[in-house]
Amino acid sequence: MEAQYSFEEIVRCELSCDVLVFEGTYDPLMVRGDVPLKKILLHYAKSAKTIIAAGSCASFGGMFKASAPERNSGILFDLEEKKGPLVALEEKVINLSGCPIHPEWIGYTLSMIAHKKEILLDDLHRPLELYATLAHHGCTRNEYFEWKVDAKGFGLKEGCLFYEQGCRAPMTHASCNKILWNEVSSKTRIGTPCFGCTEADFPRQNLFSTKTNMSIPQETPLGVPKRSYLTMAGIAKTFHIERLEGKLIDYKTTR
Amino acid sequence: MITKQLVEQIEGEASVYFDIKNEKVDFATVTFPHFRGMESILETKPALDALVITPRVCGICGHAHLMATVRALEDAYKNSGYEVQLTQKAKLIREFTLVMEMIQNHLKWLYLVIIPELNKLLHYDGQKSTLKGAYGASLASKAIALFGGQWPHSSYMIPGGITSDPTHIEVMQAHHHLQELKSFFEKESLGTTLETFLSFESCKDFHALDSDIATLEKHLIEADMHQKGFAHDRFLILGEHTFSERTKLKHTRSFGVDIKFVTTKPSFSPYEKSFAYNALYKNDYYETGPLARMMSSGLPIIKNMHRRFKDSAYSRVLARVFELSFMLQHATKLLDKIDVAEDSVVSLVDIKKVWATGIGVVEAPRGPLIHKVTIEDGIIKNYTIITPTQFNIGSDTKEKPTSVQHAMQRLTKEDALFVFRTFDVCSVCTTH
Repeated sequence: MEAQYSFEEIVRCELSCDVLVFEGTYDPLMVRGDVPLKKILLHYAKSAKTIIAAGSCASFGGMFKASAPERNSGILFDLEEKKGPLVALEEKVINLSGCPIHPEWIGYTLSMIAHKKEILLDDLHRPLELYATLAHHGCTRNEYFEWKVDAKGFGLKEGCLFYEQGCRAPMTHASCNKILWNEVSSKTRIGTPCFGCTEADFPRQNLFSTKTNMSIPQETPLGVPKRSYLTMAGIAKTFHIERLEGKLIDYKTTR
Repeated sequence: MITKQLVEQIEGEASVYFDIKNEKVDFATVTFPHFRGMESILETKPALDALVITPRVCGICGHAHLMATVRALEDAYKNSGYEVQLTQKAKLIREFTLVMEMIQNHLKWLYLVIIPELNKLLHYDGQKSTLKGAYGASLASKAIALFGGQWPHSSYMIPGGITSDPTHIEVMQAHHHLQELKSFFEKESLGTTLETFLSFESCKDFHALDSDIATLEKHLIEADMHQKGFAHDRFLILGEHTFSERTKLKHTRSFGVDIKFVTTKPSFSPYEKSFAYNALYKNDYYETGPLARMMSSGLPIIKNMHRRFKDSAYSRVLARVFELSFMLQHATKLLDKIDVAEDSVVSLVDIKKVWATGIGVVEAPRGPLIHKVTIEDGIIKNYTIITPTQFNIGSDTKEKPTSVQHAMQRLTKEDALFVFRTFDVCSVCTTH
């Protein structure tokens, strides 16, 4: 469990590594232990067989891109564009986006590398086995999404958070509702909207409300044509399913 | 001669510059070299977005940041004429998850930092028990996630309450994880029950134990830590909770405090640019965090410890172990009081109607965390954050040493570095 090398030994750039894990936004002006970060990164990136960008900052710039937007980026991508410092080594880079990175996602990736198994990636260099599905998959509120029943506010067991509360789970590649967080839950399961933290445009703004046009969400679920979505939603909304419109449990009146 | 020491295995980066004379630290300054810009990121953002942004200040106490933000926003509501009356359920659940975060922090610090560093100082090989800290912390995180969805970086506290609406099932599951954690801690760390441990009256009571904590106590004495690492014997607690009251202590005497006397000033870092600001109360440096909170708790063992060993490194380390034990019991009491039939949120006017400044103060693992927000038309005009490490690990001149600088003086460099660790530095919070 003990680190094999001290930080001072590492920043001398005389060692090599099999897997390089880079955390945080890449800031070309940053200095770590009196050595320019750029030098440290390029040195270890060259010797590594695999480079992991751990988290959304290292993957795309993320939250801390905003502290110096003109120069900060991920190590391969700057938002969705490939113009980070490791473009020349792009085949080696695996992005594990997410704010924070899900511990099981890095566990999976390191384990796959250790067992010499091929990791298939999407266009943004994220492992498909972790990011092919949407955060929406496995959400316990799915029935409300199917029948277009919106949540009447926060703090409720009932209702889908996509229509008013800003939930981005239907547009976000992640396995939060499949693998779960801390093995027990997820944001949407406990009534917090998904903020889309695994995508290159995180953090967006107005995270607790949905942008709508004539009370229809401006963005439709990923890959679903707007017209198809509107037709389906329009029909579903005419049904008025009583079971889904009331409270699931009313502790005050059910005795 | 000035020597620079990089402090490793912390959140972020910090360096200590030692001025060594006759092999002892004559004076030391602390540098936090990385600026992170959270406050400027928050400006111009919609007010509620702060609930998502500020937890990202820190990967270890982000939940405390969430609570400081929600308290600041609710205070702004109040200052606009809309007082927020939370339900008891929302208050209890917020408090429970905050306490669980403190527990995971203390467990990690104990097994990942303090025990290994003390072994290193005493040149003991010592069995590595890092995974004990990680396992205990994972149980605490599960209990948080049942209500908060995930840990770290949950945003489940919102003005007016919480987004979750748990049933008895989640409360039971939380009890289960907590019970598992208590049994684990009693068996693997304390070597006795929490009740027995918390009823200790004298430091001699440790001698009856054969456990990680008993060994820790023995090693602290062996390293003379009961005679080293004294700060100013002044303590400050600012967050109001079910487990703490706002107060300051000079030695053992308690005084009233007002948040308006908290100020900051740029830290003194003559050898390298530092982005840290020191936090002061009425222009003095105070110690914050577990020792401060335990000093005000009135626990007999803490009184005994302080009478014998004052605010030494020994007291600072063991106060944390007692706080950890105290919090494990306290968390159960909070869970027991939750009435799932109550509402999770009270409805509030749109935040766009709130034109005001609000202050949120929370006891984070390392001490008071202060967020101050000014909102106009639903947009953040100004946001300032003061973190506990700014109180404890400031860097000032030799004439006015901060708590950590005072505690490191006249020690060997090795001892001083261990004492530095007893304050549980968080660099990323300091230069938020």
